[in-house]
Amino acid sequence: MSDLRWQDVTVRYGRHVVVDRVDLTVPEGRIVGLVGESGSGKSTLARAAVGLAPVHGGTITLGGAPVPTSGRRRPLQMVFQDPYASLDPRMTVGDSVAEAMPPGRSRQQRRAEVERLLELVHVDPARARTRPGGLSGGQRQRVAIARALAARPRVVIADEITSALDVSIQGVVLNLLRELRRDLGLSILFISHNLAVVRYVASHVAVMRAGRIVEQGPTERVLGHPNHDYTRTLLAAVPGRRSQP
Amino acid sequence: MERRWLRVLRTPLGAGAAALCGLVLVLAVVAPLVWGAAAEAVDTADILAGPSSEHWAGTDNLGRDILARVLVATRLSIGLALAATAIAVLVGLLLGSAPYLLGRRAGRLMTAIVNAAVAFPGLLLALFFAVVFGLGARGAVLAIGLAGAPSFARLTHALVANLAARDFVAAARIAGVGRLRVLFRHILPNVAEPLAVNATIGAGTVLLSFAGLSFLGLGVQSPDYDWGRLLYEGVSALYVNPMAALAPGAAVLLAGLAFNLLGESVAKGLGSPTLRGGPPPAPSADGDSRRAPAGEDARDDVEAADPDVVLDVRDLEVTVPGPRGAIRPVRGVSFTVRRGEAVGVVGESGSGKSLTALAVTRLVADSGHVEATRLRLLGDDLRGADTPRRRRLLGTSLAMVFQDPMTSLNPTRRIGGQLAEVASHHLGMPRREAMSRAEDRLGAVGIPDVGRRARQYPHEFSGGMRQRAMIGMGLMGSPRLIVADEPTTALDVTVQQQVLDLLATIRGDDAVGLVLISHDVTVVGEVCDRVLVMYAGRIVEDLPTSELATGARHPYTRALVAAVPDMETDIDEPLATIPGRPVDPAELPAGCAYAARCPLADARCRAEDPPLVADPGGRRVACWHAGEPLPGGTAEHPADELVETP
Repeated sequence: MSDLRWQDVTVRYGRHVVVDRVDLTVPEGRIVGLVGESGSGKSTLARAAVGLAPVHGGTITLGGAPVPTSGRRRPLQMVFQDPYASLDPRMTVGDSVAEAMPPGRSRQQRRAEVERLLELVHVDPARARTRPGGLSGGQRQRVAIARALAARPRVVIADEITSALDVSIQGVVLNLLRELRRDLGLSILFISHNLAVVRYVASHVAVMRAGRIVEQGPTERVLGHPNHDYTRTLLAAVPGRRSQP
Repeated sequence: MERRWLRVLRTPLGAGAAALCGLVLVLAVVAPLVWGAAAEAVDTADILAGPSSEHWAGTDNLGRDILARVLVATRLSIGLALAATAIAVLVGLLLGSAPYLLGRRAGRLMTAIVNAAVAFPGLLLALFFAVVFGLGARGAVLAIGLAGAPSFARLTHALVANLAARDFVAAARIAGVGRLRVLFRHILPNVAEPLAVNATIGAGTVLLSFAGLSFLGLGVQSPDYDWGRLLYEGVSALYVNPMAALAPGAAVLLAGLAFNLLGESVAKGLGSPTLRGGPPPAPSADGDSRRAPAGEDARDDVEAADPDVVLDVRDLEVTVPGPRGAIRPVRGVSFTVRRGEAVGVVGESGSGKSLTALAVTRLVADSGHVEATRLRLLGDDLRGADTPRRRRLLGTSLAMVFQDPMTSLNPTRRIGGQLAEVASHHLGMPRREAMSRAEDRLGAVGIPDVGRRARQYPHEFSGGMRQRAMIGMGLMGSPRLIVADEPTTALDVTVQQQVLDLLATIRGDDAVGLVLISHDVTVVGEVCDRVLVMYAGRIVEDLPTSELATGARHPYTRALVAAVPDMETDIDEPLATIPGRPVDPAELPAGCAYAARCPLADARCRAEDPPLVADPGGRRVACWHAGEPLPGGTAEHPADELVETP
C-alpha cells in the first residue's frame, strides 16, 4: 500500500493559520482532485508534503512511513503551475530530467531512461539536447512531468499545472495524466480551481476553504450531490452552467 | 545568451567600449616589452623637462620619459585593479551565497553583517585595511578588494534569494539534489550574467580607487609605479610640466571609462527587451498614405449613418517591430458593436485578441503601428493624432477593464480619489461632486460600505473588489462601450461569476456595447451574444454564441469548443486536442494559418488564405471547407512535434 495521507496537518506562517487540521488521503493508483479558491491553502498543503512548507502539527505519511524530505530517494514529486519558471533555462531538457533520477546508474542507462521518459510524455526524445527556451509551454509542462517521473515517484502532486496553458494544449496534458495513471498506476493529487477539469481527471475530489477541507468523496457524488453549501456555490459559479438547457 | 552578448557589441557604444577595453588590455601586455627600457632610462642631464619632440610628455625628476612610464604602468594598474576586483567578487560570492547554504537563522545573521558592512564608505574601509595590511601594492589590493566585497555580497544575496524561490530550484530540491549542488548547478549559472556586468563596472571603479590610494601614497610604493603613483609624482611638478600629471590622469580616465561603459552597455543590452527587437520599421510611404485617404473618408461618412453602431472597425492592422523585421499580429480585422450588444473575442495566446482591444482603445505602445480604413467610436474617427477632444471622448465614452486590476490601479492613491480624478479631469466636475459620484459608482458596482472603502488603498481591496473598482472607474463617465480584456482570468471562479454578472447588468441597464476578450470559450458563451474567433491575427469565424456548441463551421472553432472540458464532458473518452501549436505571427504561412493543424486542409488551403465571407444571416467564416464534417478520430495526436523557434 502506498497511500499518501495527511493526518491532522496544520501549517502556520507566524500567527496566520494557512492549513487547519486537515485530513486527506490520496489512495494508491487514484487521481484525487483538490479544489478551492486562491488562498484556501491547497498549494500550501501540497508544499508541506514535499518539505517546502513548515508543518506545525499532524503527520504526512506515504505508505505508512513519513515522507522523506532529505536524501536522494524521493517517492513524492511535484509539478508546478508556471511552465516558464519550472525548468532551469540554462540546462538542457535531458539534463533536467536526468538530474532527478535516483543515483547509481551509468551514463548510458541515464540517457536511455531520459529518452524513455520523454517518449512517455510525448516529447520527441531528440529534444533532450535543447534548452527550455526552444519549447512551447505545453512541451515544457510535459518535460516537467517527465522530470517528476524520473525520480520514480509513487505519488505526484500536480499544482495547477494546466492553468497557465492555452486551452488547446490543456487537453494534451490532461489526457497524459489519465494515461499515466492507467498505464503506470501512478497516484496523483491534482490541484485546480477549475471544477470541469477536476471532474474530468479525478475519481475523488476534496473541497478546501480557508485552510479546511469542507467536503470530500467520489467526484460523481461530490459534484453531483454536494453536501456542503460552499461546494454548491463553487458549482453554481462554473461558467456555462446557467446557459445549459 | 551568447547571441545577446554579441548583439551588445553591435551597438555603437558597446563596440566603442569593447574596443577601448581591448586596447587597454593589449597595452597592459605589450607596453612593458616595448617601452620598458625607455621608461627606466635615467638621463640626469634632462630632468623635469617639459614636452619636447623627444619626450612628448616631458621627463621626471630622474629624466625618465613620462609617456613611456604611463604606458608601462598600464600593466601594474590594470593588473592590480583586476586582482582587487577578483577578490571583491569572490568574497562577495561567498558571503552572498552563504545565507542560502546556512539555513534561516545563521543566514539572517550573515545578511545583517553584510548590510552593516555595505553602510561603511568603501574608501574609508580601504584606508582602514591599508593600515592593517601595511603600505604597498599587496595591502592595497586586499584593502580595495575587501572594501568592494560587501556590495557584491548584497547583490549576490538578492539574486540568489530571488532564484531560490523559483520553481525549478524547488523541483531540484524535491528531487533530492543537495543545497550545495543546487547552488552550483542551478543558481550561480543563472546569476552569472548580472554579476559579470557588475564586476566589469566594478573594475572601473576599483581602478579609480587604486589611483586614489596610490595618489595618497598608500598604494604602490617606489620603485614600482602605477598611474596613481605617477599622478602623485606629476602633481608635485604641476607648475613646471602640467603634462606630467595630465598624462597619467588621462590614462586613468580612459581605462576607467572603458570598463564602466562596457559594463553599462552590456547591462543595457542584457536587461532591456527593447534592444532585442531591433530597430523599428521605417513608416512606409504607402502605409501612411493609406491611413486616411480623403475621398474614402467622405464616402465613409455617408455609410456610417446607423446611430446604433457604437464601435465600427474596418481592416484593422497592427504592426510591431520584431527581431527580424516588422511583424503583423493583427491582420485585417473588421467588426461592429451595436448598442447593448455583447461581443466576445476568443483565441489562444498570440492570436492578436488583446492587441485588437488595445488598438481599438488607442493604447498600443509607441513602437506599434495601427492602421485601419475605419475606426470609429460613436461615429467619431479615432485614427490620426491624439487631440484633447479625442482624449475626452475616450475618457468618458469608453471604459477599459484589464486582466490584473492590481497593476491598473495606482497603489499609492486612495480608490475614491482615483475614480474622482476621471470626473474632474474629463468632465470638469468640482472635487466634492466628483468624489460623491465616485462613491455612487462604487456602490453601483456592488462595493459594500462605500464611505469607508473609498478612502482605502488598492492593496486593501480583494482581487474581485479591485476589478469592480476598475469597472466603477469606467462608469465615471457615461460609457457607451466597455472593452474588457480577460477581466476574470486572475479571479477565483466564485468572484469571476460576480464580475461577469456585473458586466452583464451594466450592459443591460444602460444599453452599453461590450467587447469581452477571453481565452475561455465558456466565459464568453455565458455573457455574449456574438463571438469572434481569432486565429493568427485574423477573425476566422463570427457567429452567435448560441451556435457555438453545435453550429460552428470553422474547424478551429469546433476544435476549440471540443478541447475545453465542461461539466457534461464524457469522462470515458480522451479529450479532443488540437495537433501542432499556434502560429508564430513572425512566421505566417502562405495560405490559411490554421492549415498545418487542420484535419480538412488540402492543397488550396496551404496556398490561398480564405477570405472572411458573410452569409445572408450575418454570420461570417473564413474557411475553404466551412461546415464540412471533420474526419473521425483526428483529435488523438499527441500534439506538437512541429519544429518551433524559441
